[in-house]
Amino acid sequence: MRKTMRDRGLFWSPAPDWTTARIDGDAYSVRRVLGLGQALVSGDLDAALAELMPAAPEISLWSVAAAEPFAVRIGRDRTLLVSPGPLAAAPGWRNGYVATPCDDAYAILEISGVALREIVAEGTSVDINAGSRSAAVLFAGVTVLLYRIGPETARLHVEAPLAAYLWAWLEGRS
Amino acid sequence: MQLFSCPFCGERDETEFTFCAEAGKTRPEPAAEVSADAWARYLHFDHNPKGATREVWLHATCGEFFLMERDTVSHAVSGSHSLRRPEA
Ligand SMILES: [Zn+2]
Repeated sequence: MRKTMRDRGLFWSPAPDWTTARIDGDAYSVRRVLGLGQALVSGDLDAALAELMPAAPEISLWSVAAAEPFAVRIGRDRTLLVSPGPLAAAPGWRNGYVATPCDDAYAILEISGVALREIVAEGTSVDINAGSRSAAVLFAGVTVLLYRIGPETARLHVEAPLAAYLWAWLEGRS
Repeated sequence: MQLFSCPFCGERDETEFTFCAEAGKTRPEPAAEVSADAWARYLHFDHNPKGATREVWLHATCGEFFLMERDTVSHAVSGSHSLRRPEA
């Protein structure tokens, strides 16, 4: 068949096999976390949390989430619910909020090791010690949600199509 | 690198922000009676002052639109204000 357009797919870094992919760098490792439930909530966040995830803590930039479920704050009217498995939330507006299941919309990359702070300092100019209500930051040029699940383990939620790029960035620094 | 202050997030790097518009513009209405000239003026003409200015900016990562007061010569930011109506 005659080629009428350049195949831009070949331009991008190939996506690794996420089920086994792992970066073992100097004092850090990275893997993709699979199987968690994610749902974007807009609107009245208090009402949404009370109905969908009562008692789930709110996680802000660089704060430490103990275990799912929790709500990662994105903006004034937006949060991302993270649950141990897919969340049964009916789509559409009700009681002042809308919840949209989006389990695969964000890839979750987990970075672990003593080099974590160094990696974060390379990826973003945000002052993680100052704290910020929103976990959304520009990291290596793309918007991610950044928080921790332990003192030296952080998670990045990035829009799934950008995961291969971010993976290559994390691999490239090792 | 300059830090801008988002009313929701606090201080963040300037690269996370996008300029939206000069503040204080009023959209001409009703739409059906607005001339092409008036509409073009609204869309494309700015005062572009030298010195103190008030602008609407977007903190792109969190999605907050807000009012920023800054100086176009010194680049000093003198204030960031939420565009929200006060909570009822
Ligand atoms: Zn913000």
